[in-house]
Amino acid sequence: MRGNLITGSLLLIFSVVFWFGADAIPKSSLSGSVGADGLPKMLAIALGVLSAGFIAQTLLMMRAAPAAANAGREEKSGEFSLYLRAFGMIVIGVGYLVLVPYLGYMLTIGLLLLTVAIYNGKRPSAGLLLFAVLGSVAFYLLFVRILDVPLPAGFWPRLIG
Amino acid sequence: MEGLYYGWQAVTSMPVLLAAIGGVTWGILGGALPGISPSIAMALLLPFTYNLPPLVAVVLLAAVYVGAEYGGSIPAILIRTPGTNSAAATVIDGYEMQRQGRGGEALGLSLVGGTIGGLFGLILLSTLTEPLASLALYFTPPAYFALGILGISIIGSLSEGALLKGLIAGILGMMIATVGTDPISGVSRFTFGNPNLLEGIHFILVMLGIFAVAELMMQAGEDRWTEGTKPDAQSARLRLPSIATLWRLRRAQAIGCVLGAIEGAIPGGGGSVASFLSYNEARRWSKEPEKFGKGSEEGVIAPETANNVVSATAIVPTLSFGIPGSNSTAILLGGFLIHGLQPGPMLFTTNPEIVYGLFGGLFTANILMFLIGAVILGPCIWLVKRPKPYLMAAIFGLVVSGVYAIDHSLFDLGVVLGAGVVGFVMRKFGFPTLPLILGLVLGYMIESNYRRALLITNGDHMVFLQDGVSLGLLACAALIIGMSAIREIRRLRNPVNLEEAAAQ
Repeated sequence: MRGNLITGSLLLIFSVVFWFGADAIPKSSLSGSVGADGLPKMLAIALGVLSAGFIAQTLLMMRAAPAAANAGREEKSGEFSLYLRAFGMIVIGVGYLVLVPYLGYMLTIGLLLLTVAIYNGKRPSAGLLLFAVLGSVAFYLLFVRILDVPLPAGFWPRLIG
Repeated sequence: MEGLYYGWQAVTSMPVLLAAIGGVTWGILGGALPGISPSIAMALLLPFTYNLPPLVAVVLLAAVYVGAEYGGSIPAILIRTPGTNSAAATVIDGYEMQRQGRGGEALGLSLVGGTIGGLFGLILLSTLTEPLASLALYFTPPAYFALGILGISIIGSLSEGALLKGLIAGILGMMIATVGTDPISGVSRFTFGNPNLLEGIHFILVMLGIFAVAELMMQAGEDRWTEGTKPDAQSARLRLPSIATLWRLRRAQAIGCVLGAIEGAIPGGGGSVASFLSYNEARRWSKEPEKFGKGSEEGVIAPETANNVVSATAIVPTLSFGIPGSNSTAILLGGFLIHGLQPGPMLFTTNPEIVYGLFGGLFTANILMFLIGAVILGPCIWLVKRPKPYLMAAIFGLVVSGVYAIDHSLFDLGVVLGAGVVGFVMRKFGFPTLPLILGLVLGYMIESNYRRALLITNGDHMVFLQDGVSLGLLACAALIIGMSAIREIRRLRNPVNLEEAAAQ
């Protein structure tokens, strides 16, 4: 319930920010009666109205069932650690994003496979290492050789000369 | 005749055949993995379709959808865990048959029922799509604008009974669609000086993030995947039903066909609704209803027939009007749009080889599903038993690699990760994601037709009410939203229901 209230408030703020962002869109003489800012502004207003309605709905529900609204507070701390675990996957993805231009695709994808597997509960072992190595070779062959995708090579070409 | 010619060409074309084989195989394997829905399996392949010929690309995606509907029944029967939502009804009697040592029979019923359902759905798809699409020839820009609004309204109001959340998600999707260069005047919007955003945010990136990355985040935060008990090797051998058995089960199959056809064509319907409805109706009309829940063959074949009918009929509104009614058809629509193909009536005249070729490809895919399904059981069981961390790592690897294949840009990967966060937060807070995807995919169509209509009438908004089709569609949208709002208000006023809702 509280989550809904916070979400609704954030959406309302976002709608205001979006409206101002739309207002800053340059005007063009090529536009008709409704310019490039027309639909964005309408969407911002619609979102604002819906968010306000969502907040009102949540407040009504909280007033009608306050016991249920307060229930489960103890469970929230456990959920928070699950949220953090989930966002850890994004951190791993960002790490890949940062490293791949330097280390090259093959090495970085191997590190990604290794990291994701360990992060999700697999213990470090020779089998896991083999999975990461074979996986990186398989991905390299599939994407770089077969599909001809010019994935970053990193510093290796310069090193090899 | 022309349609038959294009269909035959597709059936006998090697690239289309390979796409169908690859799509069905990937679909069965992906569908067999709990947590990988048909839409995620399709989304993972989207970047690969970029460089494929248009027909091959859409057949590949559609074949994945077909294969996944069968694949989901494998773990449902063997380890009581549906691989896809549509296979949830199959668990009831399918797993019971497995416990009785008749798992192979259940798998055979699922495979044959699914093939029959898929072919029946294909007949409906090929006969209904063109007449419906020809209705859209009467559509003017105001009507197309209204159609887009109606599509989002329907999906928003059907989404898990949370009207406001569904509509908010749709609006957010349309907001994302405004990023980039304005299609009419050419000015840049919400690009913040970043040249990577000038072409807007590609819907593939958002789909990959919302479906695949968000699911990986959910998996990391929960223990939803089960490796389950080891399936008994003997009962895991596929046993195809005899003709006599199929004839005996004809009523259950017919129920699956009818309900699958209806639910598939309704936006927001889908395989899971169709399969449960079919299960219930098959039990109601069965001569042996007491057997349901105890290993009834009808309890397996009815839902499995239904969910494969849906895989074809769900494509009807997508092809006819360009309005997808489910996550999977939204991705299929994405496959069309990537290749510059706009589903609708014009597609039948400008690119008939694509439409009829798709029908031919789907025919091939359904036949291949039967053939491949008969032999792929072993690899499926092996895959289901793999440790979850390995599977998650492989899928994440596919996502980060596939994204780069689109535009060779690491910025796109950042967008996918951001969309993944959005998708995760939406799911955690109970916001449906399909309206957001629809808003994103339809946003351009809605805005361009809205402004085109106003350009024609010099800014007179009355055109949306003066055009009969537009007025009708907008009235339908208002009615749907109004009825959903009344339901929500009644729910709020009822104290008993309020506590249940507050506890959600």
